[in-house]
Amino acid sequence: MKPKLIIGIVSIVFFTSLLMYNFGNSISTYVNFIDAEDRPTAHVVGVWDDSQAYGFSRETMQFSFHMKDQDGNVRRVVYPRPKPNNFEQATQLVVIGEMRNNVFHANDMLMKCPSKYNDPSQLEQLSSAN
Amino acid sequence: MAGLIGNIFLSGAFVASIAAMIGYALSASGYKNTDSKKIERISNWFWGFKGIFLLIASGILIHLLVTHQFQYFYVWNYTSLDLETQYLYSAFYGGQEGSFMLWIIFSFIVGLGLIRWTRKPYRAPVMFVMALTQVFLLSMVVGWDLIVAQIGASPFRTIAQEMPNAPFIQANPDFTPSDGTGLNDLLKSPWMMIHPPIIFVGFAMMTVPFAFAIASLWTRTYHDWIRPALPWTLAANLSLLTAIFLGGYWAYETLSFGGYCAWDPVENASLVPWLIGTAGIHAMIIQRKSSRAHKASIFLAILAYVGIVYQTFLTRSGVLAEQSVHSFVDLGLYGQLLLFILVMVALGIGSYLYRYRELPSPEKESKILSREFMTFTGSMLLLILGLVIILGTSSPIIGRFFVDNPTPPEIAFYNQWSMPIAIIMAIATVIGQHLFWKRYTWESLAGVLIVPLLLTSIATVLSIILGDVRNIGYMIFIFAAWFAVFGNGRVIFDLLKKRPKLIGGALNHVGFGVLLLGVIASSVYTEPLLDQRTASYNARVAQGEVFDEEGFPVTQPIEMFELDLNSPKLINERWMVTYEGYELSDSPRLGMQTYKIKFEPVNGGSPFYMKPEVYPMLTTSTRDNIEWSVDPHVRTGLFSDIYLYVAGSRYVEKENERVEQRNTMQPVAGNPETESRQSIEIKQGEMVTSGNFNFTFRNFVPASEESVPDNTQIGIRALIHVEHEATGRAFEVEPLFAVYTDDGRSYTYSPPLEIEEWDLEVTFTRVLPEDDSIELTVDGLDYEFEEDWILVVAEIKPFVSVVWLGTFLLMAGFSVSLLRHWAREKKAGEDYESKP
Repeated sequence: MKPKLIIGIVSIVFFTSLLMYNFGNSISTYVNFIDAEDRPTAHVVGVWDDSQAYGFSRETMQFSFHMKDQDGNVRRVVYPRPKPNNFEQATQLVVIGEMRNNVFHANDMLMKCPSKYNDPSQLEQLSSAN
Repeated sequence: MAGLIGNIFLSGAFVASIAAMIGYALSASGYKNTDSKKIERISNWFWGFKGIFLLIASGILIHLLVTHQFQYFYVWNYTSLDLETQYLYSAFYGGQEGSFMLWIIFSFIVGLGLIRWTRKPYRAPVMFVMALTQVFLLSMVVGWDLIVAQIGASPFRTIAQEMPNAPFIQANPDFTPSDGTGLNDLLKSPWMMIHPPIIFVGFAMMTVPFAFAIASLWTRTYHDWIRPALPWTLAANLSLLTAIFLGGYWAYETLSFGGYCAWDPVENASLVPWLIGTAGIHAMIIQRKSSRAHKASIFLAILAYVGIVYQTFLTRSGVLAEQSVHSFVDLGLYGQLLLFILVMVALGIGSYLYRYRELPSPEKESKILSREFMTFTGSMLLLILGLVIILGTSSPIIGRFFVDNPTPPEIAFYNQWSMPIAIIMAIATVIGQHLFWKRYTWESLAGVLIVPLLLTSIATVLSIILGDVRNIGYMIFIFAAWFAVFGNGRVIFDLLKKRPKLIGGALNHVGFGVLLLGVIASSVYTEPLLDQRTASYNARVAQGEVFDEEGFPVTQPIEMFELDLNSPKLINERWMVTYEGYELSDSPRLGMQTYKIKFEPVNGGSPFYMKPEVYPMLTTSTRDNIEWSVDPHVRTGLFSDIYLYVAGSRYVEKENERVEQRNTMQPVAGNPETESRQSIEIKQGEMVTSGNFNFTFRNFVPASEESVPDNTQIGIRALIHVEHEATGRAFEVEPLFAVYTDDGRSYTYSPPLEIEEWDLEVTFTRVLPEDDSIELTVDGLDYEFEEDWILVVAEIKPFVSVVWLGTFLLMAGFSVSLLRHWAREKKAGEDYESKP
């Protein structure tokens, strides 16, 4: 084998493993609130618990609400930004941040909005109005 | 009925493209005998018929959209009666089915060009590949309901076909909604009309190098294919670049993504093919110039199109539904899309491997300091960057090797990899461009690069000092970017003197350097706009001096500020910013508020206004829940942009409270007694503020006799000017005050006057002659008076203009190269035709 080819293969292997190592580190897994306590940052999936008070406070400049994760744990979440536009409509929330003293401090928040497709409820409203 | 015809034409187009595909395959496999020419001509006819059928079907769909035939699911789902005409047309490609059709139409037109301009022996196999991709794309929209499986989702399906089990359909199969749900508010933008078509032009043209690569493997003529393929690839890249630019600008300016690039999977979907396509162009140029790199150029031409299909698969199959703002919905096409990508990979990579041993390879290795080696390096770097981004976007699939339930990678992953790659690329461009035109040794190269290096050093030092750059990585990045600008600038300078038509490549590489400078300046050095109190709070947060009520350190800075009506705040020590109220209007969007925010530079300069908007999203808001959407205002400047939106306001809060009250209070009949009533004593010419309103008593006006009761002794009206403080809207009312006698007793008569817009009633209740004033009673003022306020999120982004400049330079460079290669290819075509 030519030395150039060997260098090429070695560098490809090195490059690929470095890339995959880095990629593996930069993705994480979705957890619940209990497991989030042991992590510096966590992604938690859940739904908004609308039975408790929520809203943006102009004193603390934070939006706070309660979220129920997929295992049913409910925690307060604070988010240092205004309430996102489509918050109430979201069928699922993903909060990214850290858990401190039973309060989840979210740095980022993603909302999954209901698919209006294949959802006949809007049509039913229409047809009952007709 | 029209839908049925549409479906028939779509099926016709599908069948015609299958026929064309088979015909081209037959013609290609026997291209030396005479029949093949005839078969090819018949296939061309099929290609043409397919196009005509497709155009008719599209015409029918547009007709259905424009005439509001809401019994069709597509029409109902993407349009509504109040949609402006131009958006009715663009709703054609607003959904998945229509956007597939648009893609097919452009591919059809590209195919016509190929039939016209491609020479033997490539024409038949190239058209075979084109027809094959058409068969797949058409199968996505053909909507055949076979017993074993459903093929495609037709844009002509009715609501009854879409939801056969819905109870209202079973009650009334011919049910037609009276209005549609409407186009998503975010898509009602002029950008929507141009951005998607240009993407699909790019996608359609990127099929051409793929088709040529397959044709070259098929016909075993591995060299000549790049001549006709190169102009197509350049054109495809130019349109993808334009589309990326438009999409980025759209995202930046109207959608509040907060930036021009958010590493969103769908934005990556056009970026990755562009990167791989550009890698392919580099390889093709080496092949054309030096008859090398055949393997690479064929491989990359295949990969660029596979990249397009793969990203189409990711974004349209529903795999990424949770990660992207472009929420394409799963239409049940998962299997078909998977088959599409698998066949393209099998065809491309399979035939590549099959012919691999035959592919020409260079006799001896290139030296490092040769144009072949450097251009090839550029090609590989582009490919690596493309692969890194593909890896990132594929996290829902590839991430499963690492963890269950993988999240998307952090933005840092993309940045950490793209930055060093970009640095190496930038330096390689300079060496590559020099070697491209002339031979150099290391010594002579260093000699010519002295001046550019000197300029680069000066510019880098200045940038570091002026921009207060502390990070060593950014310093290297800035150096590399300036080096690309000056080094390639030198090449342009040389070429302009001798061969100005050839500057395309060098211009591109200068554009690349400029783009890097713009990207680093605008993304890393973006600063939030803040008032002094918030800024000092954030400084304390950064030092860990702020603790929350439970004693934990606060780590998140506040990146917004509040403005009260007409009370200026000093922002970033540069501007006095004043909120001057808002205007309500119903055009172009219902219930839209335009906020007026004045910026006055502290150290001189002319003041300017920012006018962000907030509006309720019509498609998703209901009576019980208003969803608000913001439209940021971007003030573009030469050195920096200001990006600003209103994240909350008193108006929006009150509207939400009103809706909520209506929801909760409805069962209890309204209790009017809680309404607030206030008396105002006011002198003539005086202004009194009460609640949100300013009342000015202008003067007395005599009352006409018809308006007062009989036996009136005094009848007088007061002209009152009522102004809403926040909006500046004003009304004038003339309430009446009369004293009349009945049976010898005096009565006063003062009917209330209503100002409907504000639910306000003004009554002229008394005249107070002793101090020259009158008393008004006002009903409907807010009990708890609250000053009008808004919450502002704003950023200053330096040198966004440089990003656009870099993009324009790249576009200009590609255009120059495209024109040159096209002219040469056309000339070659004429020479070919003139030969017997």
